[in-house]
Amino acid sequence: MEDEQVMLDVRAGDVEKLELLFDRHHRALFRYFLHLTSNRAVSEDLVQEVFFRILKYRHTYQPGTRFCAWMFQVGRNVHMDHAVRHKPEVAMPERGWDVRSPGAPPDLQAQSRQEAALLRRALAAMPPEKREVLIMSRFLDLKYEEIASVLKCETGAVKVRVYRALRELSDRFFALCGERAS
Amino acid sequence: MICERIREQIPECLAGRLDHAARERLVAHLETCPACRAELAELNAVWRGMGSLPELEPDPAMRSRFLEVLEAYQAGRASGSAGQVGDPGCGPFRLPHMPHRWWQAGLALALLMVGVFLGRYVAEPRGAGPEVAQLRGQVESLRQLVTLSLLQEQSPSSRLRGVTYSYQLAQPDAQVEQALLYAVNHDSNVNVRLSAVDALEKYAANPRIRGALANAVPVQDSPLVQIALIDLLVQLNDKEAAPALRKLAQDAQADNQVRQHAAWAIQRMEVSQ
Repeated sequence: MEDEQVMLDVRAGDVEKLELLFDRHHRALFRYFLHLTSNRAVSEDLVQEVFFRILKYRHTYQPGTRFCAWMFQVGRNVHMDHAVRHKPEVAMPERGWDVRSPGAPPDLQAQSRQEAALLRRALAAMPPEKREVLIMSRFLDLKYEEIASVLKCETGAVKVRVYRALRELSDRFFALCGERAS
Repeated sequence: MICERIREQIPECLAGRLDHAARERLVAHLETCPACRAELAELNAVWRGMGSLPELEPDPAMRSRFLEVLEAYQAGRASGSAGQVGDPGCGPFRLPHMPHRWWQAGLALALLMVGVFLGRYVAEPRGAGPEVAQLRGQVESLRQLVTLSLLQEQSPSSRLRGVTYSYQLAQPDAQVEQALLYAVNHDSNVNVRLSAVDALEKYAANPRIRGALANAVPVQDSPLVQIALIDLLVQLNDKEAAPALRKLAQDAQADNQVRQHAAWAIQRMEVSQ
């Protein structure tokens, strides 16, 4: 059953079906928050908050709305509320994140680990709105139309924002690589 | 200008989302433009690097916590339809989730044992009055203890359970009342604050609580909580809150929706006079 139909059932009072939507989407939401906050415990709590708000404000879901876009809108609001109360937001990479290259020789693995750490630092240092658009595009694999729906802007604007964010991430990453090399 | 347009398509191209015609145009441009080729190579390295970053899995306990909230919510709706305090999360007696804390587990076990004994005494036809009253008192104080403990937890989902648990108290309790008021005014989590507002409905016969709820409206930073508070004040038809709401309705600094809601609330109160 499509997400949208499930959500309409939840809205109509069949709230048990929210479990199905939780199972389908809680990982993506967790990753979204983890990339924004770099804090596992906070990310898990924010996911709970999103589903609690979906439950409580289910009547505000409009038929015809893409569920994913609506859910990430709720997620954005939850994160903004969190960020307001926890300024300045600390977005530093958590320990233990490692690259997936088990078959590579040890020296290459070490290099990959270093590069991954630098990339995470570069990503964490990005302005939140740019980081967010990259997370949606790269990690959540959302289409530009879906991102536009979440951010409430035109698809063309998303295209420009993703490019500029990737450009800035690239500049930051290679600058960090240069610092490391020197 | 052409280069700029082409470069804006690079992320779509890397994600494999560019349609055939656009991809052909991009490739044709790259063949003649070394600067854009260099741009593509650089962005491709970063894009691929992002794809190599591992994805952490959430704690499996997250699912059980969610199911608990869902279950409590459903129980609350069921009991709400039977005429009890409603939405959200109020429900019939059930043990709260007790994560990894021996003393909490001990409390739960003690509560269960008291419940079992209470069941046995209640089953006695007559003659066990004082014992039953004593056990009921013990159950009540344990419920109070569990509620207060959960409300002081670090995790918002635990505090949310604490609010849910407060519905189990048969009699309004001064300490729980204070803890819920504290949650409304100071909890860092909007959902805990929203639930605490709902839970305080039970205590609203007390004019001091109604006053505290009215005072909480202008100082809240969340429009959602402000609207929930206004709804409760309208439901209670608390006319003493009208001046504060009138002031809020005219406050240019306040959220637009909140101001409109405050104006609506004043109208409702005036109609019901």
